[in-house]
Amino acid sequence: MAISDSDSLSDEAAPLGEEAPVDETDPIPPSTATGGLREHLRDHAVHAAVIVGFLLYPLVYEALLATPAATLAEAFLPAVTFMIAVLYMGLFAMSFDFVSGYTGYLSFGHAAFYGTGAYFVVLAANGQVPGIPAGTPFMITLLLGAVLAGLLAIVIGSVSFRLTGVYFAMITLGFAQVIYELIRSWGYVSSNPTEGTTVSGDALAVGVPYIDALSLNLGRLTGESVENLLGLGIDLSATVVSYYALGIVVVVCYFAMQRIVHSPFGRVMVAIRENEERARAVGYPTYRFKLAAFAISGFFGAIAGGVFAAYSRSVAPDGTFYFLVTADALITTIIGGFGTLAGPVYGTLFTQGLEDVLSTESGGIATLLREGIPEGVYETDLFGVSLELFVNTAVDGRAPLYLGIIFVLFVLFVPNGILGTLRDRLGGTVGKRLPDHLRRYLR
Amino acid sequence: MTPGTLPALVDAAALASAVDPGALLATGGAVDGLRTAARVLVEGIGKGAVYFTIAVGLTLVFGLMGVLNFAHGAVAMVGAYLGGLVLVLVVGANTGTVATILVFFVALALVFAVTTAAGSAMEVTLIRPIYDRTPTYQILLTFGVSLVIEELARIVLTLRGIQPNPQWQAPMATTPDVLLGRTDLLGIGVRRLYLFEIAIGAVVAVAVWAFLTKTLYGLYIRAGSEDTEMVQALGVDVRQAFTVVFGVGTGLAAVGGVLLMWDPIWGPSVLLSVDVLLYAFVVVIIGGLGSFTGTLVAAGIVGVADSVTTWLFTTGIVAFPGLSEVTIFLLLVVMLIIRPQGLYGVEEVGGH
Repeated sequence: MAISDSDSLSDEAAPLGEEAPVDETDPIPPSTATGGLREHLRDHAVHAAVIVGFLLYPLVYEALLATPAATLAEAFLPAVTFMIAVLYMGLFAMSFDFVSGYTGYLSFGHAAFYGTGAYFVVLAANGQVPGIPAGTPFMITLLLGAVLAGLLAIVIGSVSFRLTGVYFAMITLGFAQVIYELIRSWGYVSSNPTEGTTVSGDALAVGVPYIDALSLNLGRLTGESVENLLGLGIDLSATVVSYYALGIVVVVCYFAMQRIVHSPFGRVMVAIRENEERARAVGYPTYRFKLAAFAISGFFGAIAGGVFAAYSRSVAPDGTFYFLVTADALITTIIGGFGTLAGPVYGTLFTQGLEDVLSTESGGIATLLREGIPEGVYETDLFGVSLELFVNTAVDGRAPLYLGIIFVLFVLFVPNGILGTLRDRLGGTVGKRLPDHLRRYLR
Repeated sequence: MTPGTLPALVDAAALASAVDPGALLATGGAVDGLRTAARVLVEGIGKGAVYFTIAVGLTLVFGLMGVLNFAHGAVAMVGAYLGGLVLVLVVGANTGTVATILVFFVALALVFAVTTAAGSAMEVTLIRPIYDRTPTYQILLTFGVSLVIEELARIVLTLRGIQPNPQWQAPMATTPDVLLGRTDLLGIGVRRLYLFEIAIGAVVAVAVWAFLTKTLYGLYIRAGSEDTEMVQALGVDVRQAFTVVFGVGTGLAAVGGVLLMWDPIWGPSVLLSVDVLLYAFVVVIIGGLGSFTGTLVAAGIVGVADSVTTWLFTTGIVAFPGLSEVTIFLLLVVMLIIRPQGLYGVEEVGGH
């Protein structure tokens, strides 16, 4: 590619796959030098559309539940609690993708940072962290926990980045498992460390510390509800308030990471992924860049863990530090698009949606089948297995099975994930290319 | 997939109880101390034999193909259930000890045959299309397969009413009485099950060694773990070799599973999948990915370290049962820091 860059004649003729990275390297493509601002606005128009979609979702969902299509909406649309999981798991997957998707180093122990953030927030709220009194605003403990995770990432990374490929994945997994086992048997964390610990005090508030008016209490059961929002007659439940408060954190984190990815620093990360030796030969101290990327990723991973802990008000080693938490991020990242920052959010949306559809808790397909199929058919035995038993065991809550199958199919046939494939088809980022495509079809 | 509902590892208490702290606590005297040390050592070798059996298939596959098979643990789990199924179906109340052990070996052979075939089929249909991609995708694919296997196992177990709780006790009940107690070997009182496991581990080690040194595919693996490209250049039908070796590796995973079926620390459970996988990773990485000798030595080291720390941290010297599991992963981390390619590993294994 370096050759075709210097050879300006062949630049236009370069195949699509080769041209795309060049396009991204340049913040303002030459063809739109005059319309740079317009391009910028277009890019963010898609962001705005997605954010508005997330903003309106709970209201639309509520509204749909009041219509005749309520049963279908309940069965096929994720409930707000699942959308909250989309937010924090999406943020965690994004932080995983930030280092793994952009530098190409598979971090198999990323749960260590998620867990650090989650445990720090809960322990700080209970006054168990030395030097931090119990009443410290949540935002401050969240940031401190994130900084701690960043430092932890530097410690782990400084050793791990001497290795590459499978060995890097394994050593990060090794570190995370060491921390997991320690937390699981450390009596200081709680009297029963295997079960984890809970927040004993008030609800934790997202907002600017010491300015009450801007604070929103998190937590589905203890958070605050808003009645008659701005005099519009809209009531928001505690769950929905948590959803918006968490959403603010996630959006801020997304834009922060997006800025880094599109900065020269982010370009070096991609250079490391594409060809580390060449990046080093060009003169970049790749080790330091990798370490910095890992630390930033750990920072945001801990924020995801922190908001999760504040929302659920409890942490357990298996839900925070365990290997399978990293695996969740991995799955959603692959489905959403490896190496695309927004992809993991769509991946999480997909997986959480699937989970919601297949669970009975929020009236999924299992409920539809139970109510829709005539009693006689439903209870007939076939080879000792009735349809009822089949629905109960093979449909209800069996999201991991279908997720696994879909995941395998994605790895085989859609290796770039949802967003990555979309970008390949459009020939650039969605924000840049979609308007042109739309115009072409609408003309 | 919601955090908080993830399955726990095998209970640390169960692991700790494998070595009775009271029985092992030295009551004074150099002879008693030596006996305790010998017992801990033998039990460590017993654990090492188990670790070797579950890890050796993983290292074979990695040695030739450079594929880190994340479905290895899931296959071992299936092996434990299939082996258990055979024993539960055949072994009755009055089946003799010798007959039971014979049935065990029949189960071992049957399960090996079935899973080898399944592994070969998996290689042809799923892994073959993605060899030209980065190794990451092979890890991801096998991981996805393990998810599917685990969930299918859960569905079958619930549908047949086999598993209301995580532990399926039926196959454990088929363990012959001969293997249950302790034997007074040179006055150190070792659990007989450990001796049985050491024997099986030795059989597997010899069989794999013979496969590696006496067969053509063994030759390919040994050459392939040095330089895959050269093997290809010499005209070996690598595609076929990959299929055979992946099948055998999968079969060995299941053999490891069958061995775990009678072991009170493990036993057949869906959680076995992740557990076995993590232990197998530690062993093959310490030994050097792709190295048979390395896996053998590393399994011994990990087994003894596990046994010693389990004994140390449950006898009141330091009451911190989780630490024995920490030790294993600490061993992994320390090894990767000192010698990333492992004890016997060559750098740039598997041609990637």
